[in-house]
Amino acid sequence: MPAFRLHYFDSRGRAEIARLMFNAAGQEFDDVRYSKEEWPAFKPKTPLGQLPVLEVDGELYAESGAIFNYLARELGFYGNGNIEALQIDIVIGIAKDFYPNLLKVFYTQEEQAKKELIQKLVTEDATQFFTKYEQLLKDNGSSYFVGNGLTLADIVVYDVIEYLLPLRADILEPFPLLQANRKTVESNPRIAAYLKTRK
Amino acid sequence: MPSYKFNYFDLRGKGETCRLCFIAAGVPFEDHRIDRAAWPGEYKAETPFGQLPYLEIDGKKFAQSGAIASYISREYGLYGTSSLEALSIDGVVGLAADYFTNWAKSYFEADASKKTELQSKLKNTDLPSFLANLEKILTANGSGYFVGNQLTLADLSVYDVLENSYRDHPSVYKSYPNVLENRKAIAALPRIAEYLSKRKATEI
Repeated sequence: MPAFRLHYFDSRGRAEIARLMFNAAGQEFDDVRYSKEEWPAFKPKTPLGQLPVLEVDGELYAESGAIFNYLARELGFYGNGNIEALQIDIVIGIAKDFYPNLLKVFYTQEEQAKKELIQKLVTEDATQFFTKYEQLLKDNGSSYFVGNGLTLADIVVYDVIEYLLPLRADILEPFPLLQANRKTVESNPRIAAYLKTRK
Repeated sequence: MPSYKFNYFDLRGKGETCRLCFIAAGVPFEDHRIDRAAWPGEYKAETPFGQLPYLEIDGKKFAQSGAIASYISREYGLYGTSSLEALSIDGVVGLAADYFTNWAKSYFEADASKKTELQSKLKNTDLPSFLANLEKILTANGSGYFVGNQLTLADLSVYDVLENSYRDHPSVYKSYPNVLENRKAIAALPRIAEYLSKRKATEI
């Protein structure tokens, strides 16, 4: 296995999925975190002037989605074979369609507008989004999205729901399979240990 | 080889990259095009999640254009020769997806004055910024392709996502010679050239 260094800010953001995978795999990595003051010095060294960046044996690679897929391949979270990879990519694609709605809420400052966006997010948007996931879990028939074990699909969904629960605690109530999947991810021993220590 | 049926509207939109993958790889597929006017009709209920495109692989249905394009690319040699090359390919595909989002915002905006603003942002900021990154990657790679020494999903994704902008703002491309070279080279590949010569022009 190469030497891995993950470069990001000191938050979950667009790096947490990678951190969850490293921990779930028991894979050593350098969890490099930049403060606002430290970032400008590192920025010109990055491929696209953005974070996260994954350093693999000294080479820097950008684009969070690309990084997650690579780590999933290397650490064994990409399923078995091309059809399972396709199924994992479908779960990720659905999340990618949803992220803009989430980001809009975070970037909206005006209080009333923000309130309205949150309301739409945790009702219409979330329902549409979770209904697809509930169907996929039903079709797969295990407590995981793809196959019979933890993949990048479960981790991506786990991560996005972490942003929604604080906005509406009962958001998963209509979705029993999603609830079960979430419990399955949380009770993975290595992930549970990581979540305990995570600030 | 499985039987493939690709279902999408009769335009480029989110489906064309998938079609280009089949064509570039020389893989036969049924190119099922649904008339926008006939949608939703009976078609929507046939889709996995109420949206197009979806791919049928021996009758089993799979949604999500990005997932489909990656699947075809992995299956038929358009995903590079190593996991690190795949990482680089996904990086370019990610940039193309971001640009597509910006383009879509500017195209589908309903408010006229906001639309003008977004179109201007696309031409003056998003497009040059995207092209500059692409130029950097092509220059560093040095082969004329985005990754490695041969055609990959990266080249096809970029070719496709720039179709509208190349038609609408050709002058912006002048400062990015390697991007232009790559575009010419992709269009000239035999299977792609044949397809492009017969493809009917659509607005999007």
